[in-house]
Amino acid sequence: MTEQEQADLEGQVAELRSELEGCKTQLLDAHQMSAVGQLMASIVHEINTPIGSILSNNQVGARSLEMLHGLLEKAQAEDTSPPPKSTKILSTLLTLAEVDKIACERIIAVVRGLKTFVGGHGAEYVKSNINEILDNALKLAHCEYRRRVEVETEFGELPEVECEPHQIGQVFLNLLVNAGHAIEGEGKVVVKSEVDGEDIHVSIADNGSGISPEHQKKIFSTGFTTKAVGIGTGLGLAISRDIIEDRHGGSIGFESEFGKGTTFHIRIPVSRAADENAQK
Amino acid sequence: MDTYTEATVVLVDDEEMVLTSLNAYLTLETDYNVESFTDVDEAISFVGENEVDVVISDYLMPKMNGIQLLAKAKELKPETSRILLTGHADKQSAIEAINQVGLFQYIEKPWDNAALLLVIRNGSERTQLLRSLRNKILQLDEAHSNLKTAQSELIRAFL
Repeated sequence: MTEQEQADLEGQVAELRSELEGCKTQLLDAHQMSAVGQLMASIVHEINTPIGSILSNNQVGARSLEMLHGLLEKAQAEDTSPPPKSTKILSTLLTLAEVDKIACERIIAVVRGLKTFVGGHGAEYVKSNINEILDNALKLAHCEYRRRVEVETEFGELPEVECEPHQIGQVFLNLLVNAGHAIEGEGKVVVKSEVDGEDIHVSIADNGSGISPEHQKKIFSTGFTTKAVGIGTGLGLAISRDIIEDRHGGSIGFESEFGKGTTFHIRIPVSRAADENAQK
Repeated sequence: MDTYTEATVVLVDDEEMVLTSLNAYLTLETDYNVESFTDVDEAISFVGENEVDVVISDYLMPKMNGIQLLAKAKELKPETSRILLTGHADKQSAIEAINQVGLFQYIEKPWDNAALLLVIRNGSERTQLLRSLRNKILQLDEAHSNLKTAQSELIRAFL
Protein backbone atom coordinates (compact mmCIF):
# COMPACT_ATOMS: atom_id res chain seq x y z
CA MET A 1 0.00 0.00 0.00
CA THR A 2 1.37 3.43 -0.90
CA GLU A 3 1.58 6.24 1.63
CA GLN A 4 -1.21 8.06 -0.22
CA GLU A 5 -3.48 4.98 -0.14
CA GLN A 6 -2.74 4.54 3.56
CA ALA A 7 -3.59 8.18 4.27
CA ASP A 8 -6.85 7.83 2.27
CA LEU A 9 -7.76 4.70 4.20
CA GLU A 10 -7.02 6.38 7.54
CA GLY A 11 -9.16 9.33 6.45
CA GLN A 12 -12.06 7.02 5.59
CA VAL A 13 -11.74 5.20 8.92
CA ALA A 14 -11.74 8.52 10.79
CA GLU A 15 -14.86 9.58 8.88
CA LEU A 16 -16.62 6.29 9.64
CA ARG A 17 -15.60 6.54 13.28
CA SER A 18 -17.07 10.03 13.50
CA GLU A 19 -20.27 8.84 11.80
CA LEU A 20 -20.50 5.95 14.25
CA GLU A 21 -20.10 8.33 17.20
CA GLY A 22 -22.89 10.45 15.76
CA CYS A 23 -25.14 7.41 15.43
CA LYS A 24 -24.35 6.33 18.95
CA THR A 25 -25.33 9.74 20.29
CA GLN A 26 -28.58 9.64 18.33
CA LEU A 27 -29.30 6.16 19.66
CA LEU A 28 -28.64 7.38 23.17
CA ASP A 29 -31.09 10.25 22.75
CA ALA A 30 -33.71 7.96 21.18
CA HIS A 31 -33.29 5.42 23.94
CA GLN A 32 -33.60 8.12 26.56
CA MET A 33 -36.93 9.19 25.09
CA SER A 34 -38.03 5.58 24.75
CA ALA A 35 -37.11 4.82 28.37
CA VAL A 36 -39.24 7.69 29.61
CA GLY A 37 -41.91 6.83 27.03
CA GLN A 38 -42.27 3.31 28.40
CA LEU A 39 -42.91 4.77 31.80
CA MET A 40 -45.46 7.17 30.35
CA ALA A 41 -48.49 5.04 31.25
CA SER A 42 -47.53 4.89 34.91
CA ILE A 43 -46.38 8.53 34.94
CA VAL A 44 -49.73 9.63 33.55
CA HIS A 45 -51.57 7.52 36.11
CA GLU A 46 -49.41 8.97 38.86
CA ILE A 47 -50.32 12.52 37.83
CA ASN A 48 -53.97 11.78 36.99
CA THR A 49 -54.76 10.58 40.47
CA PRO A 50 -53.82 13.76 42.38
CA ILE A 51 -55.39 15.87 39.60
CA GLY A 52 -58.65 13.97 40.08
CA SER A 53 -58.58 14.79 43.78
CA ILE A 54 -57.75 18.46 43.25
CA LEU A 55 -60.55 18.84 40.70
CA SER A 56 -63.10 17.18 42.96
CA ASN A 57 -61.92 19.09 46.05
CA ASN A 58 -62.14 22.38 44.20
CA GLN A 59 -65.78 21.77 43.35
CA VAL A 60 -66.64 20.49 46.80
CA GLY A 61 -64.84 23.52 48.28
CA ALA A 62 -66.85 25.97 46.20
CA ARG A 63 -70.14 24.26 47.07
CA SER A 64 -69.20 24.03 50.75
CA LEU A 65 -68.38 27.73 50.92
CA GLU A 66 -71.70 28.49 49.23
CA MET A 67 -73.54 26.41 51.85
CA LEU A 68 -71.53 27.91 54.68
CA HIS A 69 -72.29 31.41 53.41
CA GLY A 70 -76.00 30.58 53.41
CA LEU A 71 -75.91 29.13 56.91
CA LEU A 72 -73.97 32.05 58.38
CA GLU A 73 -76.15 34.63 56.64
CA LYS A 74 -79.26 32.94 58.03
CA ALA A 75 -77.76 32.75 61.54
CA GLN A 76 -76.83 36.41 61.35
CA ALA A 77 -80.33 37.41 60.13
CA GLU A 78 -81.97 35.40 62.94
CA ASP A 79 -79.37 36.51 65.48
CA THR A 80 -78.59 32.90 66.39
CA SER A 81 -75.27 31.06 66.66
CA PRO A 82 -74.09 29.19 63.56
CA PRO A 83 -75.54 25.65 63.37
CA PRO A 84 -73.27 22.59 64.03
CA LYS A 85 -73.27 21.89 60.28
CA SER A 86 -71.12 24.98 59.70
CA THR A 87 -68.36 23.57 61.89
CA LYS A 88 -68.57 20.29 59.98
CA ILE A 89 -68.22 22.14 56.68
CA LEU A 90 -65.19 24.07 57.93
CA SER A 91 -63.58 20.86 59.12
CA THR A 92 -64.11 19.27 55.69
CA LEU A 93 -62.62 22.31 53.96
CA LEU A 94 -59.48 22.08 56.11
CA THR A 95 -59.11 18.36 55.34
CA LEU A 96 -59.49 18.94 51.62
CA ALA A 97 -56.95 21.78 51.69
CA GLU A 98 -54.47 19.34 53.22
CA VAL A 99 -55.26 16.74 50.52
CA ASP A 100 -54.75 19.37 47.81
CA LYS A 101 -51.32 20.20 49.23
CA ILE A 102 -50.26 16.54 49.16
CA ALA A 103 -51.71 16.15 45.66
CA CYS A 104 -49.77 19.16 44.35
CA GLU A 105 -46.55 17.89 45.94
CA ARG A 106 -47.06 14.55 44.18
CA ILE A 107 -47.41 16.23 40.80
CA ILE A 108 -44.40 18.47 41.45
CA ALA A 109 -42.28 15.42 42.36
CA VAL A 110 -43.09 13.69 39.07
CA VAL A 111 -42.44 16.82 37.01
CA ARG A 112 -39.11 17.34 38.80
CA GLY A 113 -38.22 13.74 38.09
CA LEU A 114 -39.02 14.26 34.42
CA LYS A 115 -36.85 17.40 34.19
CA THR A 116 -33.72 15.31 34.50
CA PHE A 117 -34.70 13.38 31.41
CA VAL A 118 -35.88 16.11 29.13
CA GLY A 119 -33.44 18.10 27.06
CA GLY A 120 -29.77 17.34 27.20
CA HIS A 121 -29.18 16.65 23.54
CA GLY A 122 -25.55 16.04 23.02
CA ALA A 123 -23.23 15.44 25.92
CA GLU A 124 -22.66 18.35 28.25
CA TYR A 125 -20.49 17.51 31.18
CA VAL A 126 -21.39 19.59 34.20
CA LYS A 127 -20.67 19.35 37.92
CA SER A 128 -23.62 17.40 39.28
CA ASN A 129 -24.93 15.98 42.50
CA ILE A 130 -25.27 12.22 42.02
CA ASN A 131 -27.71 11.93 44.94
CA GLU A 132 -30.00 14.46 43.27
CA ILE A 133 -29.89 12.51 40.00
CA LEU A 134 -30.68 9.30 41.92
CA ASP A 135 -33.53 11.04 43.70
CA ASN A 136 -35.10 12.22 40.43
CA ALA A 137 -34.77 8.76 38.89
CA LEU A 138 -36.46 7.32 41.99
CA LYS A 139 -39.33 9.80 41.63
CA LEU A 140 -40.05 8.43 38.16
CA ALA A 141 -39.42 4.79 39.08
CA HIS A 142 -41.90 5.29 41.93
CA CYS A 143 -44.64 5.70 39.28
CA GLU A 144 -43.97 2.05 38.35
CA TYR A 145 -43.41 0.84 41.90
CA ARG A 146 -46.41 2.50 43.59
CA ARG A 147 -47.17 0.48 46.70
CA ARG A 148 -45.79 -2.76 45.30
CA VAL A 149 -42.11 -2.11 45.80
CA GLU A 150 -40.66 -0.58 48.96
CA VAL A 151 -37.64 1.66 48.49
CA GLU A 152 -34.87 2.14 51.06
CA THR A 153 -32.16 4.71 50.45
CA GLU A 154 -28.80 5.30 52.09
CA PHE A 155 -27.24 8.33 50.49
CA GLY A 156 -23.72 9.18 51.60
CA GLU A 157 -22.15 12.63 51.49
CA LEU A 158 -20.92 12.97 47.95
CA PRO A 159 -18.76 15.58 46.25
CA GLU A 160 -19.98 17.04 42.97
CA VAL A 161 -19.01 14.97 39.97
CA GLU A 162 -18.37 16.17 36.46
CA CYS A 163 -20.76 14.08 34.38
CA GLU A 164 -23.60 14.21 31.87
CA PRO A 165 -26.58 14.22 34.27
CA HIS A 166 -29.24 13.17 31.71
CA GLN A 167 -27.23 10.13 30.70
CA ILE A 168 -26.36 9.13 34.28
CA GLY A 169 -30.01 9.61 35.23
CA GLN A 170 -31.01 7.36 32.35
CA VAL A 171 -28.71 4.60 33.64
CA PHE A 172 -30.16 4.86 37.15
CA LEU A 173 -33.73 4.90 35.85
CA ASN A 174 -33.04 1.89 33.66
CA LEU A 175 -31.62 -0.12 36.56
CA LEU A 176 -34.42 0.94 38.90
CA VAL A 177 -37.13 -0.05 36.41
CA ASN A 178 -35.37 -3.39 35.77
CA ALA A 179 -35.24 -3.97 39.53
CA GLY A 180 -38.99 -3.35 39.71
CA HIS A 181 -39.65 -5.78 36.87
CA ALA A 182 -37.49 -8.44 38.52
CA ILE A 183 -39.74 -8.37 41.57
CA GLU A 184 -42.93 -10.35 41.19
CA GLY A 185 -45.60 -9.03 43.52
CA GLU A 186 -44.20 -7.17 46.51
CA GLY A 187 -40.54 -6.56 47.23
CA LYS A 188 -37.83 -4.12 48.12
CA VAL A 189 -35.20 -2.07 46.35
CA VAL A 190 -32.25 -0.65 48.28
CA VAL A 191 -30.29 2.25 46.80
CA LYS A 192 -26.99 3.32 48.35
CA SER A 193 -24.38 5.89 47.45
CA GLU A 194 -20.93 6.48 48.94
CA VAL A 195 -17.44 7.63 48.12
CA ASP A 196 -15.15 4.68 47.43
CA GLY A 197 -11.58 5.80 46.88
CA GLU A 198 -11.54 8.03 43.84
CA ASP A 199 -14.98 6.93 42.69
CA ILE A 200 -18.59 7.48 43.58
CA HIS A 201 -20.10 4.05 44.21
CA VAL A 202 -23.83 3.61 43.69
CA SER A 203 -25.53 0.28 44.32
CA ILE A 204 -29.07 -0.69 43.38
CA ALA A 205 -30.22 -3.94 44.97
CA ASP A 206 -33.50 -5.81 44.56
CA ASN A 207 -34.86 -8.98 46.17
CA GLY A 208 -36.44 -10.13 42.93
CA SER A 209 -36.00 -13.21 40.81
CA GLY A 210 -32.29 -12.75 40.16
CA ILE A 211 -30.45 -13.46 36.92
CA SER A 212 -29.82 -17.06 35.90
CA PRO A 213 -26.17 -18.10 35.40
CA GLU A 214 -26.68 -18.59 31.61
CA HIS A 215 -28.13 -15.09 31.22
CA GLN A 216 -25.53 -13.41 33.39
CA LYS A 217 -22.96 -13.61 30.62
CA LYS A 218 -25.25 -11.96 28.09
CA ILE A 219 -27.09 -9.18 29.90
CA PHE A 220 -24.85 -6.39 28.64
CA SER A 221 -25.17 -7.61 25.06
CA THR A 222 -27.01 -5.44 22.59
CA GLY A 223 -30.47 -6.76 21.92
CA PHE A 224 -30.52 -9.26 24.79
CA THR A 225 -33.73 -9.19 26.75
CA THR A 226 -35.80 -11.58 28.85
CA LYS A 227 -38.90 -9.44 28.61
CA ALA A 228 -41.89 -10.02 26.35
CA VAL A 229 -42.07 -8.44 22.90
CA GLY A 230 -42.91 -4.78 23.13
CA ILE A 231 -41.50 -4.31 26.62
CA GLY A 232 -38.13 -2.58 26.46
CA THR A 233 -35.66 -2.57 23.62
CA GLY A 234 -32.99 -4.94 24.96
CA LEU A 235 -30.63 -2.00 24.73
CA GLY A 236 -30.90 -0.64 28.26
CA LEU A 237 -27.88 -2.35 29.81
CA ALA A 238 -25.75 -2.13 26.68
CA ILE A 239 -26.34 1.60 26.54
CA SER A 240 -25.87 1.92 30.29
CA ARG A 241 -22.49 0.28 30.02
CA ASP A 242 -21.57 2.57 27.14
CA ILE A 243 -22.56 5.62 29.19
CA ILE A 244 -20.77 4.61 32.38
CA GLU A 245 -17.65 2.99 30.96
CA ASP A 246 -16.98 4.69 27.64
CA ARG A 247 -18.38 8.14 28.32
CA HIS A 248 -17.54 8.52 31.99
CA GLY A 249 -14.54 6.25 32.53
CA GLY A 250 -16.41 4.35 35.24
CA SER A 251 -17.53 0.76 35.65
CA ILE A 252 -20.81 -1.12 35.91
CA GLY A 253 -21.13 -4.61 37.28
CA PHE A 254 -23.47 -6.80 39.24
CA GLU A 255 -23.83 -9.77 41.52
CA SER A 256 -26.90 -11.94 41.36
CA GLU A 257 -28.32 -15.05 42.92
CA PHE A 258 -31.05 -16.74 40.93
CA GLY A 259 -34.23 -16.68 43.02
CA LYS A 260 -32.80 -14.29 45.63
CA GLY A 261 -32.04 -10.97 43.95
CA THR A 262 -29.56 -8.80 42.11
CA THR A 263 -27.31 -5.88 43.03
CA PHE A 264 -25.89 -3.56 40.40
CA HIS A 265 -22.76 -1.55 41.20
CA ILE A 266 -21.96 1.64 39.35
CA ARG A 267 -18.67 3.43 39.86
CA ILE A 268 -18.05 6.89 38.45
CA PRO A 269 -14.72 8.67 38.92
CA VAL A 270 -15.07 11.88 40.92
CA SER A 271 -12.85 13.75 38.48
CA ARG A 272 -12.96 12.98 34.82
CA ALA A 273 -9.83 11.75 33.03
CA ALA A 274 -7.56 14.45 31.65
CA ASP A 275 -8.38 13.36 28.04
CA GLU A 276 -11.73 15.21 28.03
CA ASN A 277 -11.61 15.86 24.32
CA ALA A 278 -11.43 12.16 23.56
CA GLN A 279 -14.71 11.64 25.50
CA LYS A 280 -16.53 14.34 23.52
CA MET B 1 -91.28 8.44 49.59
CA ASP B 2 -87.71 8.50 48.34
CA THR B 3 -86.45 5.02 49.16
CA TYR B 4 -82.97 5.64 47.86
CA THR B 5 -81.60 8.17 50.33
CA GLU B 6 -79.99 5.68 52.66
CA ALA B 7 -78.06 3.65 50.12
CA THR B 8 -74.77 2.12 51.24
CA VAL B 9 -71.84 2.91 48.96
CA VAL B 10 -68.46 1.16 49.24
CA LEU B 11 -65.38 2.94 47.86
CA VAL B 12 -62.14 1.03 47.24
CA ASP B 13 -58.88 2.71 46.19
CA ASP B 14 -55.32 2.25 47.40
CA GLU B 15 -54.94 6.06 47.27
CA GLU B 16 -56.10 7.70 50.48
CA MET B 17 -56.52 11.09 48.80
CA VAL B 18 -59.05 9.75 46.27
CA LEU B 19 -61.14 8.24 49.07
CA THR B 20 -61.02 11.50 51.05
CA SER B 21 -62.15 13.52 48.04
CA LEU B 22 -64.94 11.14 47.04
CA ASN B 23 -66.11 10.82 50.63
CA ALA B 24 -66.22 14.61 51.09
CA TYR B 25 -68.29 15.02 47.94
CA LEU B 26 -70.79 12.27 48.73
CA THR B 27 -71.16 13.44 52.34
CA LEU B 28 -71.86 16.99 51.16
CA GLU B 29 -74.36 16.13 48.44
CA THR B 30 -76.12 12.98 49.68
CA ASP B 31 -77.31 11.09 52.73
CA TYR B 32 -75.57 7.92 51.63
CA ASN B 33 -73.78 5.71 54.09
CA VAL B 34 -70.25 5.75 52.64
CA GLU B 35 -67.63 3.16 53.61
CA SER B 36 -64.08 3.61 52.29
CA PHE B 37 -61.31 1.02 52.07
CA THR B 38 -57.66 1.11 50.98
CA ASP B 39 -57.35 -2.61 51.75
CA VAL B 40 -59.06 -4.94 49.24
CA ASP B 41 -59.56 -7.80 51.72
CA GLU B 42 -61.34 -5.56 54.19
CA ALA B 43 -63.53 -4.21 51.40
CA ILE B 44 -64.53 -7.71 50.28
CA SER B 45 -65.30 -8.74 53.87
CA PHE B 46 -67.56 -5.74 54.27
CA VAL B 47 -69.46 -6.45 51.05
CA GLY B 48 -69.93 -10.07 52.13
CA GLU B 49 -71.30 -9.16 55.53
CA ASN B 50 -73.47 -6.14 54.71
CA GLU B 51 -76.20 -4.98 52.38
CA VAL B 52 -74.29 -2.81 49.92
CA ASP B 53 -75.99 -0.96 47.07
CA VAL B 54 -72.98 0.21 45.06
CA VAL B 55 -69.29 -0.78 45.00
CA ILE B 56 -66.88 1.60 43.31
CA SER B 57 -63.34 0.37 42.83
CA ASP B 58 -60.19 1.77 41.30
CA TYR B 59 -58.58 -0.48 38.70
CA LEU B 60 -54.87 -0.20 39.43
CA MET B 61 -54.21 -1.45 42.96
CA PRO B 62 -51.53 -3.65 44.52
CA LYS B 63 -52.55 -7.16 45.70
CA MET B 64 -55.64 -7.30 43.47
CA ASN B 65 -56.89 -5.11 40.61
CA GLY B 66 -60.35 -3.56 40.52
CA ILE B 67 -61.78 -6.10 38.09
CA GLN B 68 -60.72 -9.00 40.32
CA LEU B 69 -62.22 -7.24 43.32
CA LEU B 70 -65.53 -6.58 41.55
CA ALA B 71 -65.62 -10.22 40.38
CA LYS B 72 -65.43 -11.29 44.03
CA ALA B 73 -68.12 -8.76 44.94
CA LYS B 74 -70.33 -10.24 42.21
CA GLU B 75 -69.92 -13.72 43.70
CA LEU B 76 -70.84 -12.51 47.17
CA LYS B 77 -73.66 -10.11 46.33
CA PRO B 78 -74.71 -10.37 42.67
CA GLU B 79 -77.36 -7.62 43.05
CA THR B 80 -74.89 -4.93 44.11
CA SER B 81 -74.08 -2.51 41.29
CA ARG B 82 -70.42 -2.57 40.33
CA ILE B 83 -68.54 0.51 39.09
CA LEU B 84 -64.91 0.69 37.96
CA LEU B 85 -62.77 3.82 38.14
CA THR B 86 -60.14 3.66 35.43
CA GLY B 87 -57.23 5.65 34.06
CA HIS B 88 -57.20 6.09 30.29
CA ALA B 89 -54.60 3.38 29.86
CA ASP B 90 -56.84 0.82 31.58
CA LYS B 91 -59.92 1.67 29.52
CA GLN B 92 -59.59 -1.44 27.33
CA SER B 93 -59.51 -3.70 30.39
CA ALA B 94 -62.58 -1.92 31.71
CA ILE B 95 -64.50 -2.52 28.50
CA GLU B 96 -63.64 -6.23 28.59
CA ALA B 97 -64.81 -6.34 32.19
CA ILE B 98 -68.26 -5.04 31.37
CA ASN B 99 -69.40 -8.53 30.47
CA GLN B 100 -66.85 -10.47 32.49
CA VAL B 101 -67.89 -9.02 35.87
CA GLY B 102 -71.22 -7.48 34.88
CA LEU B 103 -69.99 -3.91 35.28
CA PHE B 104 -72.78 -1.40 35.72
CA GLN B 105 -70.58 1.45 34.50
CA TYR B 106 -66.95 2.46 34.20
CA ILE B 107 -65.76 5.99 34.91
CA GLU B 108 -62.54 7.50 33.63
CA LYS B 109 -60.21 9.43 35.89
CA PRO B 110 -60.14 12.32 36.52
CA TRP B 111 -63.81 11.88 37.29
CA ASP B 112 -66.56 14.48 37.10
CA ASN B 113 -68.41 14.67 40.41
CA ALA B 114 -71.86 15.32 38.96
CA ALA B 115 -71.53 12.48 36.42
CA LEU B 116 -70.29 10.15 39.16
CA LEU B 117 -73.22 11.00 41.40
CA LEU B 118 -75.68 10.27 38.61
CA VAL B 119 -74.11 6.86 38.04
CA ILE B 120 -74.20 6.08 41.77
CA ARG B 121 -77.86 7.11 42.01
CA ASN B 122 -78.78 4.96 39.01
CA GLY B 123 -76.74 2.04 40.31
CA SER B 124 -78.28 2.27 43.74
CA GLU B 125 -81.79 2.47 42.25
CA ARG B 126 -81.08 -0.61 40.15
CA THR B 127 -79.84 -2.59 43.17
CA GLN B 128 -82.80 -1.67 45.31
CA LEU B 129 -85.22 -2.56 42.51
CA LEU B 130 -83.53 -5.94 42.06
CA ARG B 131 -83.68 -6.56 45.81
CA SER B 132 -87.33 -5.55 45.91
CA LEU B 133 -88.04 -7.83 42.95
CA ARG B 134 -86.28 -10.74 44.63
CA ASN B 135 -88.29 -10.23 47.81
CA LYS B 136 -91.55 -10.00 45.89
CA ILE B 137 -90.73 -13.24 44.05
CA LEU B 138 -90.03 -14.95 47.38
CA GLN B 139 -93.32 -13.68 48.75
CA LEU B 140 -95.14 -14.83 45.64
CA ASP B 141 -93.53 -18.27 45.89
CA GLU B 142 -94.59 -18.52 49.51
CA ALA B 143 -98.11 -17.35 48.73
CA HIS B 144 -98.30 -19.82 45.85
CA SER B 145 -97.08 -22.62 48.05
CA ASN B 146 -99.66 -21.73 50.71
CA LEU B 147 -102.39 -21.65 48.08
CA LYS B 148 -101.42 -25.10 46.82
CA THR B 149 -101.50 -26.47 50.35
CA ALA B 150 -104.90 -24.91 50.94
CA GLN B 151 -106.12 -26.32 47.63
CA SER B 152 -104.97 -29.85 48.52
CA GLU B 153 -106.68 -29.66 51.92
CA LEU B 154 -109.86 -28.40 50.31
CA ILE B 155 -109.90 -31.25 47.82
CA ARG B 156 -109.31 -33.79 50.62
CA ALA B 157 -112.17 -32.29 52.57
CA PHE B 158 -114.57 -32.88 49.70
CA LEU B 159 -113.44 -36.37 48.86
